[in-house]
Amino acid sequence: MRDNQSTSFGQLARRHGFLIVLVAIFAVFTLATDHFATFGNFIAMLHAMAPVVVMSCGMALVVLAGKLDISIGSVAFLSSTFAVLLMNNHGVPPVVAFAVTLAAGAALGALNGFIVVGLGINPLIATLGTMIALRGVALQLTNAVLIPLPESVRSLGNLSIGPIFVDILVAAVVVIAADQLHRRTVFGRQLNAIGNGEEVAAKIGIPVGRRVFVAFVLSGLFASIGGIMSLIQVGSISAYLGRGMEFTAVAVVVVGGISLFGGRGTILPGVVLGALTFEMIANGLNQMSANPYAYRLVTGAIIFVAMYVDAMKSGRIRSRRKKLAVRDEPGRSTGTIAETTSRP
Amino acid sequence: MSMDKPVLELVDIHKRFGSAVALAGASLTLRAGEAHALMGANGAGKSTLMNILGGILQRSEGQIRLGGTAIEIASPRDARRHGISFVHQELNMLPSMTVAENVLIDELPTQGGFVSRKRMRERVAAILERLGCRFSPDDTVETLGMGDRQMVEVARALASDPRILIFDEPTSSLSEREKRRLFEVIGRLKAAGTAVVYITHFLDEIFETCERVTVMRNGQTVTSGPLADYRPHDIVTHMLGDVKLEERLRPPRAPEGEPVLEVDRISRQGALDGVSFRLHPGEIVGLWGLLGSGRTEILRALVGLDGLDEGAIRLRKDGRLQPVAPGDLHAEVGFVTEDRRGEGLLLPLPVASNISFANFDKVLGPLGLIDRKRERRFGEAFAERLKIKLHAISQPVRTLSGGNQQKVVFARWLGTAPRLFFLDEPTRGLDVGAKGEILKLTAALAEGGASVLLASSELEEMMSLCDRYLIVQRGRIVGELPGTADKETLMQALSGPGTGA
Repeated sequence: MRDNQSTSFGQLARRHGFLIVLVAIFAVFTLATDHFATFGNFIAMLHAMAPVVVMSCGMALVVLAGKLDISIGSVAFLSSTFAVLLMNNHGVPPVVAFAVTLAAGAALGALNGFIVVGLGINPLIATLGTMIALRGVALQLTNAVLIPLPESVRSLGNLSIGPIFVDILVAAVVVIAADQLHRRTVFGRQLNAIGNGEEVAAKIGIPVGRRVFVAFVLSGLFASIGGIMSLIQVGSISAYLGRGMEFTAVAVVVVGGISLFGGRGTILPGVVLGALTFEMIANGLNQMSANPYAYRLVTGAIIFVAMYVDAMKSGRIRSRRKKLAVRDEPGRSTGTIAETTSRP
Repeated sequence: MSMDKPVLELVDIHKRFGSAVALAGASLTLRAGEAHALMGANGAGKSTLMNILGGILQRSEGQIRLGGTAIEIASPRDARRHGISFVHQELNMLPSMTVAENVLIDELPTQGGFVSRKRMRERVAAILERLGCRFSPDDTVETLGMGDRQMVEVARALASDPRILIFDEPTSSLSEREKRRLFEVIGRLKAAGTAVVYITHFLDEIFETCERVTVMRNGQTVTSGPLADYRPHDIVTHMLGDVKLEERLRPPRAPEGEPVLEVDRISRQGALDGVSFRLHPGEIVGLWGLLGSGRTEILRALVGLDGLDEGAIRLRKDGRLQPVAPGDLHAEVGFVTEDRRGEGLLLPLPVASNISFANFDKVLGPLGLIDRKRERRFGEAFAERLKIKLHAISQPVRTLSGGNQQKVVFARWLGTAPRLFFLDEPTRGLDVGAKGEILKLTAALAEGGASVLLASSELEEMMSLCDRYLIVQRGRIVGELPGTADKETLMQALSGPGTGA
């Protein structure tokens, strides 16, 4: 009945398969470029991927529950827009302005949660709608022009403790918190259970709707944190803030081994390794002065492989149903009723 | 704890859904340390009664007494608080999570806001030990076999320390060995003073594990008492009640001609065990067995809906029997079940489109596009032939009555003129008139030369049609009876050899 040996072997192979890819990417770029494998470049990569990591954590929670939130780029954009406008036009202190951003992020997440849970709309469609609409609102508010941050805030972008940028630390804190939330709290276990099967979870007595709602709120909140981080990194708000981030986050989550079917995978190290994969490719190709479009091709290929592995792991692609052993003995008698009558 | 004082009494419970009566005086008395078999044919009201006990449904009338005091059970949580717990037939598993998480998911122990893995593991390890399970609380459920998963479900039910534990068909997916283990566990629970309700369709199991039995029929308790007072045959008779013998729709006849279909020792782990039979042209063969005996599984396996581990199926083609894969056989068979929607009726679409679905080649116009006029005429022809009651052929199927929907399913298959029909409870949920018409239609199919394999829980239905019966028990065909067999013989067959009496 139990097939522990082959299962654990398979799992091992799959887990290490991902690490092998990561090591291979690392090795290729180390050999192909002069500065890839340096401490400075490593810090630069962590710095660059920090906002993505934070936003991916929110995405991960939603995906673990078997849902999807593709509005996070727009949530990041709109919620940071509030902060910029408050600081620039109304002289609101940065701390208050960013608190508003976080509140806005959570509120917009709640809006998503309401549409998905309250109105029962498919998460992909619901957040596609808010992705478009929220970006529209933000563009309206900013007139789609570039608005620089006040000097005092812009300098935060270079803030570092020793060689480590502050946003790397922020990302680390967020990742650890999200991972603990997922792994060690009742809420996290319940999300996992919902991702395993919503109907089953409901039958066991888990308040599915409420938990999914909270997951969306958190996703919005994390999106706004990521938004603030990108905003400070760039030093200004532009129509591009957060654009495409939702898909990067989905890719990070999936490559990090979290199943889009829900209930499988971990934030640590999954999300970090996923983000690192993409950052290494971007950074390495950049240093090789490769054609900038090559990045998209490679990224696409990696997402594709990750999705395929996910589907296999989740048993969606099963080995074809055992074909009937067709024995061609048409003449043989079927008079086996007598022999089947007596049972042990 | 006294063995005689009832732990739980359900007294004269009634339940109405609108005008439909689901329970009309059901009673059940449980004593501590006993296993109590709850028996009844399909639709007898067992599930409704258990849902009332589980707080999922509210009774319309009657009383629930726990230890002599009248109580209300307003919700599943309430039921658990009263010490009532369920092991459901379908396993509610979270495959990617650990055994411990699965067992305690609705009440994870925490410490300082975090789930305490240590306490979780300890509690679950203790429960698993009580159950005699060898796997660890840290095992992932997806690495466990069916029997172990069933044990996880039992462990979850035990986590709340119930006084009353209800098993709803727990053995339907278990192997013989796993079943033994479950029975041992039930024995241990009884010894610890737990009252066990055991719902099953397998007669032999109740004689093995239970002390008392309650039989329900048509929403009522028809008999209850110590099992020692019953023979298996008595229980079947109580379950099925008086069968009103209706006239046969056609006289039984002996198989004639070369077999159209030969099923040769097909098996599937845990479901079918060496099933063999032949089907001759123009005959109606009844698969006669209780629910869960494997009659549905035989039909599903033949058309490839469930896989096969072993065996062969041969279909007559070009004058000789040739091996055929179940998936391919599906295309040759008119397959009608109680689940009209599951069988692919597209409820929002017009009747005509639904009928033409398996028959597109007959409704195409010159450009290979569907010719609406032709489609309509095609549909109308069948509607008339089957006397489908409708206003217009363009009417959505959804708006038809159940019987007429079922006729649309037949119409679709008739268009392809199959030589074989597999009918699984084709009249379930239909009113008497519609039932009769479906049965007549079945007789007409056989008259037209088609071979019919019919599975039904209703004896009178079977007896009005079948030319012979294959007796199905536990995924095996354990005997065969001629179409002339009387009601006594058929009932006897259900409790006959192999039921452990």
